[in-house]
Amino acid sequence: MRWGLPLALLVVLFPLFDMIYWIAVRALPTFTWATLTTDQVGLGGGLYAMIVGSFTLLGLATGFAAAVGIAAGMYTAEYAPPSIARWARVAGNLLAGIPAIVLGYFGYYALVLYTHWGYTTLAGGLTLGVFMVPFVYRTADLAFANVPSEQREAALAMGARPGQYLVRVALPIALPAILSGVFLAMAIGLGETAPLIYTAGWSSTPVAGLFQPTSFLTGAIWNFYDYPSTEGSFQALAFQAAFLLLILVIGLNVVVQVVAERYRRRTRGMMA
Amino acid sequence: MDEPISPGDRPALDRSPGFSESAPPAALPRPPAERSLRRWLGSPLALAPLILLGIVVAVLAIASEGQNFGLSFWGPVWEFIPTDPAGSTYGIALFALGTAITAGVALLLASGLSLAIAITLTTYLPPRTSRILTTLTDLLAGIPSVVYGIWGFVVLAPYFASSLEPNLRNALGWLPGFGGPESAIGGGTGLLLGIFILTLMVIPLTTAVMRESLRSVPREVVEAGLALGATPWEVVRRVRLRVARRGLWGAVFLGFGRAIGESVALAMVLGNTIQYPPSIYGGSYTIASFIFTQLDSAFFYPELLRALVEFALVILLITIAFNLLGQRAVSGVRTRTVPGAGGRA
Repeated sequence: MRWGLPLALLVVLFPLFDMIYWIAVRALPTFTWATLTTDQVGLGGGLYAMIVGSFTLLGLATGFAAAVGIAAGMYTAEYAPPSIARWARVAGNLLAGIPAIVLGYFGYYALVLYTHWGYTTLAGGLTLGVFMVPFVYRTADLAFANVPSEQREAALAMGARPGQYLVRVALPIALPAILSGVFLAMAIGLGETAPLIYTAGWSSTPVAGLFQPTSFLTGAIWNFYDYPSTEGSFQALAFQAAFLLLILVIGLNVVVQVVAERYRRRTRGMMA
Repeated sequence: MDEPISPGDRPALDRSPGFSESAPPAALPRPPAERSLRRWLGSPLALAPLILLGIVVAVLAIASEGQNFGLSFWGPVWEFIPTDPAGSTYGIALFALGTAITAGVALLLASGLSLAIAITLTTYLPPRTSRILTTLTDLLAGIPSVVYGIWGFVVLAPYFASSLEPNLRNALGWLPGFGGPESAIGGGTGLLLGIFILTLMVIPLTTAVMRESLRSVPREVVEAGLALGATPWEVVRRVRLRVARRGLWGAVFLGFGRAIGESVALAMVLGNTIQYPPSIYGGSYTIASFIFTQLDSAFFYPELLRALVEFALVILLITIAFNLLGQRAVSGVRTRTVPGAGGRA
């Protein structure tokens, strides 16, 4: 299998670098500070509205996903009877497997049509949050389960209540792993389009409000990718959004790796 | 009587009768009454994923309003007449074919490539190179679908239209499906590009699961093979692949679930045309990409909206089925959090 390595390089590395190269080539020539700070005005303009929108949606979604995911993970790992825990884990994996467009339809029907709100930032944030829950949940579950049992025994031996153990012993130990899970979920959430297009809608004004539609980076790419590629055009905006997304996503992945490495180093000393 | 030495050997002080040395991390010990009540009370919290899943399915079921489209739903004709929505035919077969072809071929290619890559990563590379390549593969998993889509549409499609497809037609035109006309839109979008992009999107996921499957083959078994004089390749073929077989199939199932659910990237490169593609260069839709592109215009036509939710339910059920199969197959494998393991689109 000597051809395994060249094959791997070809199949994995070539698309990755080709993608990054071409997006950079099409995005950077017109990429200025103004791109990040101006709104999209007429033809061209800037990404400011979309950046604010993406981060607002991400903030809402992460808040929801972290709250639900960490709490559920803690209970599944520590408290739940084994039968319940098994069902919860299966459900978590199923939730992770729901296609994003199906979740988008769910958000569209439940939060846009049924409530008669129309397209809102809140709807987008909640739908994205539901999408992100299983990723946080799985890591939190694993994180709490991997806390060495010696810690639990030591805490209980010193007279701690289970609640005290959870908050003051288990949580700090599990925190790096949980954080890496949250960052991973954020990286995934930042790149999602389908759950957001039909919930958050589209808008050219930034920070319009929680019950207003909003624009976002992935939506910018979806809306502008097929415009003619003339100078200063919408399509250039799409590439700039793509470039920004790549930087953010790769950056978050790097952070996850770093946190995971520090966690590995820390718990290595704890295992007997 | 010899006590087995356990990894966590502690001085004799703690060793009292009745303590099991290798007790698995059990739940916190508590008085029986409080234990049951507290644990079961907290269950809704642990079951949050299940509750969310139930809410999603329930909402979709409600959205369909129990409308049974009858036999024509599974039929081959999709004919939406805006002036007569109630009389239109909503047949899923066209889109199901698109999903089947794109996901099926993509999985075929991705499985083979992923297996080769995973074997290389676990057996033939030094650990440092292996780790770098693993990180890069996981990075590929994190790239948003829209970015795959815009790369495919703007960079690859012109190349496909000008070089790849003419060459293919010359070389393989005698094969059915390879000699047909350009896609109705032209410009390189179509089944070929769609399958290419989809394969790329699935490979990181399947590679990761296969890699972990191969890695979790017990060392003793591998060393036994080597001790008996097998070459590394023979060890792979006869030992690792056999032992890891369930996990490898799990990777294929999970990848299939992912491929079926992909909507955005395919909506950008598949050359959206409601047709049975005449050749591999022709454009079409998949169920997921069709829902994605039609949902906004469906706002004005409730019947179309209901038809689309039936589409969504079909994909959801298929994805759940393959997800469950994949979970069962992979259950013996210790995975880290596998990036991208889910129906992201």
